[in-house]
Amino acid sequence: MNFEFLFANIGDLTVTGLSQGAIYALIALGYTLVYGLLKLINFAHSEVFMMGTFGALFAWQLVGLHENNPIPSVPMMIVYLLVGLVGAAVWSGVTALAVEFVAYRPLRRRNAPRLVFLITAIGASLAISEAVGIATGRQQFGMPDLFKTTTLVTIGDAHITNLDLGVIVAAIVMMVVLDQFINRTRLGRGIRAVAQDSDTAALMGINKNRVIVLTFVLGGVMAGAAALLYNLKIGVTRADIGFLLGIKAFTAAVLGGIGNLRGALLGGLALGLVENYGSALFGTSWRDVVAFAVLVIILMFRPTGLLGESLGKARA
Amino acid sequence: MLLELQDLVVSYGRIEALHGISLGIEQGEIVALIGANGAGKTTTMRAISGLRAAHRGKIFLEGRDITRMRADRRVVQGISQAPEGRGIFPGMTVMENLDLGCYTRRDAAMIAEDRERVFTLFPRLAERRKQLGGTMSGGEQQMLTIGRALMARPKILLLDEPSMGLAPMLIQQIFAIIKEINGQGTTVLLVEQNAQQALSLAHRAYVLETGSIVRSGTGEELLADPAVQEAYLGVA
Ligand SMILES: Nc1ncnc2c1ncn2[C@@H]1O[C@H](COP(=O)(O)OP(=O)(O)OP(=O)(O)O)[C@@H](O)[C@H]1O
Ligand SMILES: [Mg+2]
Repeated sequence: MNFEFLFANIGDLTVTGLSQGAIYALIALGYTLVYGLLKLINFAHSEVFMMGTFGALFAWQLVGLHENNPIPSVPMMIVYLLVGLVGAAVWSGVTALAVEFVAYRPLRRRNAPRLVFLITAIGASLAISEAVGIATGRQQFGMPDLFKTTTLVTIGDAHITNLDLGVIVAAIVMMVVLDQFINRTRLGRGIRAVAQDSDTAALMGINKNRVIVLTFVLGGVMAGAAALLYNLKIGVTRADIGFLLGIKAFTAAVLGGIGNLRGALLGGLALGLVENYGSALFGTSWRDVVAFAVLVIILMFRPTGLLGESLGKARA
Repeated sequence: MLLELQDLVVSYGRIEALHGISLGIEQGEIVALIGANGAGKTTTMRAISGLRAAHRGKIFLEGRDITRMRADRRVVQGISQAPEGRGIFPGMTVMENLDLGCYTRRDAAMIAEDRERVFTLFPRLAERRKQLGGTMSGGEQQMLTIGRALMARPKILLLDEPSMGLAPMLIQQIFAIIKEINGQGTTVLLVEQNAQQALSLAHRAYVLETGSIVRSGTGEELLADPAVQEAYLGVA
């Protein structure tokens, strides 16, 4: 165990851990929202995220921004960021909706047992990732550079780059907006009502299917935002990136307490940190081992996750 | 007729819970539905609200067939229910619960008016606006579920055992409030085990026994009926 390396780089490890974790957290929201509402692990959500990375890429190509373009001016960079966000959110949102309409809704109408939903989710996930794999020839696609990564501030030995700071801030802003939407607006109240007691929600005049659609869209948009940040941070995408990211984000959701929005944030950041510290301590090849070992240990002591309450019960 | 059930059959899987019941409620009435445990009272209410599909038979609201209408649409059409066991959203405040009651409405001015009306009927709710529904006492939750149902400004209010689990004092109070709500123009269908009180309050009543309506009449008639007295009023 390389404690010397860990402590020598603790600042940088923390920064990259948080920015990696922020992306996990944004994806984790989708798992948590759908689980809170339907008690369903939507395994296809990993591909909702993957589609978002391509959505941003397509949107950029559409406006003439390609991999090798020179770095744009600041105003153009903002425009391109927004274009990428819209592209990613739309593709992710549409994918999420397609999964709901094609896969889950017909099953709900037939009152299918829970296991069938689970198998369908896994099937949908594989189907989407394979279809995209075939359509893209399983190639890796590079992203255009929108800005030069520079160190903004140095705190102790921690180099905080504009990229990492941007990713962390953007993810937290998205989450605060979502949290406010769920807890403060009429539609958000409708989502919480269905999550708590869908029969009584119907007695309030709430259309359950409409609430479910809204929830899938919200989860999709958050995954789209995560996809944009991933593109900026990692710089490449492929049809098969969803699997590992999805598993990690799902882990983050469970770690924080699945069904709990703030738990997703906490779980995501915690997972990002643990991974980075763990790989410093044991070597990078142990990264995922450490992450999942920590998950198991935490769940042994807190089976419902760190914050462990349901979407329905969560309060502003 | 404001609400009418014709030969309604409702089943849970292979078990038929309602064997073809018919009843009608006129505009402005309080109608009581009484019966023993498991008679099918809640099932009737759930069918009227659309939470349970009719196997056979029809449901009419103001002469329109609503048998196949979705539950949430029926609220818009004027059917509101305070369900058995109260159905309060425990993690939401009193205000949020009340706001859910008018989820389908957009007329802010009238909503504010109705909220005032609910707070006048149930001053306790006004004092506890910020309290979580789940931490309210049983009686307070009952007030909340009735108040919430009123927030939809219903044509007909369905109350499923509003006196369940309440102290006698509070039962009196709840029944007085039901009378007041009716006096303000809301038609009420009241399900009760508390037959004495329900029959005294109701204009008319139906007696449900294992899924069939076995008697009906005005409140006074049923109170005087020896069979009803023996079975539901504890008169030997
Ligand atoms: N979800 C269900 N699945 C199967 N059977 C059910 C279900 N709900 C009710 N039943 C059955 O239907 C019958 C009528 O039940 P219901 O709840 O309507 O009675 P009730 O008159 O409201 O009784 P109580 O006074 O105890 O509330 C009962 O025999 C009950 O066991
Ligand atoms: Mg009942």
